[in-house]
Amino acid sequence: MSESLVEQGAVTQMADEPIIFCQNVNKWFGEFHVLRDVSLEVMPKEVVVILGPSGSGKSTFIRCINRLEEHQEGQIIVDGMELTHDVRNIAAIRREIGMVFQQFNLFPHKTVLENITLGPMKVRHWPRDRAEAKAQELLNRVGIPEQAAKYPGQLSGGQQQRVAIARALAMEPKIMLFDEPTSALDPEMIKEVLDVMKELARSGMTMLVVTHEMGFAREVADRVIFFDHGRIVEQGTPDYFFEEAQHERTKLFLSQIL
Amino acid sequence: MAASNQSKHNIVYFEEPPTKAPPLLAVGPLAWIRDNLFSSWLDAILTFLGIAFIIAIITTFLQWSIGDANWFAVLFNMRQFMVGRLEVLAEWRVAVLVLIVAFASGLAWAAWSARISRMVIVATAVIIALIFVIPPIISAVVPLPGAYLVAGNQSVSAGSLTQVAQDQLAFVGRSGDKVTFRIADEIAVNDQSLENLFSFSDNLANTLRATAATGLATHVRIDEINALLASEDLTERQRTNLENELGRIEPPLTVTETYSINQLPVLVRVLEGATLEPLAEATLEPGGDVFSVTLPSDGWYVVEKTMAEGEGLAILDTTGIYPILHRSFTRGEELGEGGEVVSEAGRVEQFVRMTDNYVLEAPQPSNNGTDIPYSTIIEFKYRGLRPLGDYLSLFFGPLLAMLSTPVLVIVIAIALGYTAGLLADSLFSPAEKPRKASQQSATWLLIATPALMFILVAGVGDILPLTDPRRWGGLLLTMMLTVVGIIGSFPIGVLLALGRRSSLPVVKLVCTLYIELVRGVPFISVLFMGALLLPLTNPALSEVPGAYRAMIATIIFSAAYLAENVRGGLQSIPPGQEEAAKAIGLNGLQTIMFITLPQALRAVIPALVGMFIGLFKDTSLVAIVGLIDLTGITNAVVAQTEFLGDRREAFLFISIIYFVFSYVMSYVSRRIEASGAGAAMAKRI
Repeated sequence: MSESLVEQGAVTQMADEPIIFCQNVNKWFGEFHVLRDVSLEVMPKEVVVILGPSGSGKSTFIRCINRLEEHQEGQIIVDGMELTHDVRNIAAIRREIGMVFQQFNLFPHKTVLENITLGPMKVRHWPRDRAEAKAQELLNRVGIPEQAAKYPGQLSGGQQQRVAIARALAMEPKIMLFDEPTSALDPEMIKEVLDVMKELARSGMTMLVVTHEMGFAREVADRVIFFDHGRIVEQGTPDYFFEEAQHERTKLFLSQIL
Repeated sequence: MAASNQSKHNIVYFEEPPTKAPPLLAVGPLAWIRDNLFSSWLDAILTFLGIAFIIAIITTFLQWSIGDANWFAVLFNMRQFMVGRLEVLAEWRVAVLVLIVAFASGLAWAAWSARISRMVIVATAVIIALIFVIPPIISAVVPLPGAYLVAGNQSVSAGSLTQVAQDQLAFVGRSGDKVTFRIADEIAVNDQSLENLFSFSDNLANTLRATAATGLATHVRIDEINALLASEDLTERQRTNLENELGRIEPPLTVTETYSINQLPVLVRVLEGATLEPLAEATLEPGGDVFSVTLPSDGWYVVEKTMAEGEGLAILDTTGIYPILHRSFTRGEELGEGGEVVSEAGRVEQFVRMTDNYVLEAPQPSNNGTDIPYSTIIEFKYRGLRPLGDYLSLFFGPLLAMLSTPVLVIVIAIALGYTAGLLADSLFSPAEKPRKASQQSATWLLIATPALMFILVAGVGDILPLTDPRRWGGLLLTMMLTVVGIIGSFPIGVLLALGRRSSLPVVKLVCTLYIELVRGVPFISVLFMGALLLPLTNPALSEVPGAYRAMIATIIFSAAYLAENVRGGLQSIPPGQEEAAKAIGLNGLQTIMFITLPQALRAVIPALVGMFIGLFKDTSLVAIVGLIDLTGITNAVVAQTEFLGDRREAFLFISIIYFVFSYVMSYVSRRIEASGAGAAMAKRI
């Protein structure tokens, strides 16, 4: 199946074909082998939660999917395009993938509205009116329509992360990557961000979420993947994963965090 | 789940608990004084020492400034300080430039700063009113100091020199001026009174005063030695030394006894300068009345003072005769609107009356082909410790009078700019961005100002005649060097900073090499390279005026420092910013333009402004390569024979100018830092 996909190139995806296809992805930081033969397929509208201890390579893996990190071996195909050194491909793939970071990474010198409209206006070349209408709609969706004119520094952590989600959604991506979106937040604010993510999942967005929120994984995920030492140890539906995990490493991990 | 948990609690605080006022001594001025000035005995001592130091500095300065300093050096060279030797016909262009800058500042104020409060408006109005009101009040209340002139036919010997009084003295008068003469009886009572002959005085009067003072001092010393010799406890050796010293001292003459001063009547005649027609004459008797003449028109006059009979000297106390500065320079041919010659090219002789800046171009009076000496600033010095009244009438009043109109016009231009900003906002700005219109127009105007500066000062083609860059000088040249230096080095510096962070080794090497080379060389040698070495490579370059070569040297030099500052800013931007920019699909150039560079520049505003202030002050080095910037012109001013000793006054004055502009730059930088996203960015997460 992987062969045929490569041959098809950028042909429009069929519903039953994976939107993210990774095969034997390997990556090293210098001598350190971070990703070892990672293979994964994600179907459109699927919500995949990636769990794992610190340093297991789960963040590095999702950063490879939009080429914030470069993989050295193996194949990553997103929306029918393979990630290579070709800048045009990288740009095209990044247009289809939104990403939310642990540290929000909002642009502090721009207002909330400018943060959200920047991508659509500069990358998609939308006129300002359209970008701003879209931004306002997204701010409504994430529940902070009144903060448009403020600067990120004036918002709480939870509000900032919701702006970051809105910023990613403004590009109308097909896939959303979440890199520990709630890890830098106060406990009171985690819920407001998770609520937005749940709503997003229900609306049919393809999501790859690295998180430590077990409740979220149980409630929303279609599939849970457990990472350790740069490889996928075990994966399955949440029910299977949390109740019937087979691997010793998975059991140890779950026993420590649950 | 959280909601259901909450309802199980019995106590829920919905309101903030009540607050109490702090104790009386914890806040307020008393607490501030206790906490900040006298919190321990060491602090108290330091506070008092500091206050004493400040008071000592201020009183020393005021004493010198009021009693001693010759501010004529500054008042008379104001034009030089401001524009150097710029063509007279181009002066209005500089004025227009100043007004544009003032208008732009007003507009910027409306765009970015808080609304002007009623108090500021009232204070400004009061200050301007004072500037206008004080000079007339001073001239009404405090008369200008008079002058002591010596008449007579007795020669005075001081040391090896013998001096005689001048019979004729030319002076500049204006229509309606009252010139008075009287014999200064109270001055010549004895040597003690003669010693107090202060105010303007001619050389002979000063010689008499100095001789009297020396004589009195010698008498004091003789009395001292005699008193010592009279005592019993001297050793033989000491006694011999003192006797030797006494033997060497010539008993000084008493001036009032040697010369017959103010004993005989004096004939005073006032003549019209051009024709030497007598206007009035009187014979002044010792102890007699005041002789007063009202001048009919502006121009030269001559006072003739001779002894009516016998041999003697007289010290006249006069008013209305003031020192004159002679200026002589070449003026190019000046053309009017239609191309006709307004004034011929050639030497211009100007005579300026120092007390009111009145300029006379009529030739100096002469008697049968011999020029009549006039009351120059060198001959006719203000001698002795100046009282406050004379300081006010000679310097403070004229300074304010000189400033009043320019200040008013500039303030009006600022007010117009401010009003224009408010008006633009109320008409064109959308509700959600109430200052958009003023901010946009202010930005454009500020961008256009440097170009306007160049067009106005340098001139373009037929519309504005070209000026000679060799004649640019003073504050104008300093500002041009600074502005061109800043604007020219900015893009180069940013590119160098980006280049030094580039992943391309060759680009990186070239940028690093440039930065380190230039930073390893003093500014002065870059200037010398521009001035002296460059023309060697291509003779055509020596045709490029020095001002332009200095500008290029400034750009080359400051670009390297700017690059390092910007690089520091770029390094302070967290890598997450670039990742986020990539993740929303921006390419490398867009990421730099919209994300990293704006943040980096904002982060290094204090460093950049510090650099710009340094650059502004460092332009003073161009004086060494022969340009007449603010510092260069000051060197020229204090080299004039009239103001030969007045370095302190001139350099203090330009220090104030440098300080004011540096302070404005640093104030604006603080405003920019605090504006827009600045407040929110202070607590970046």
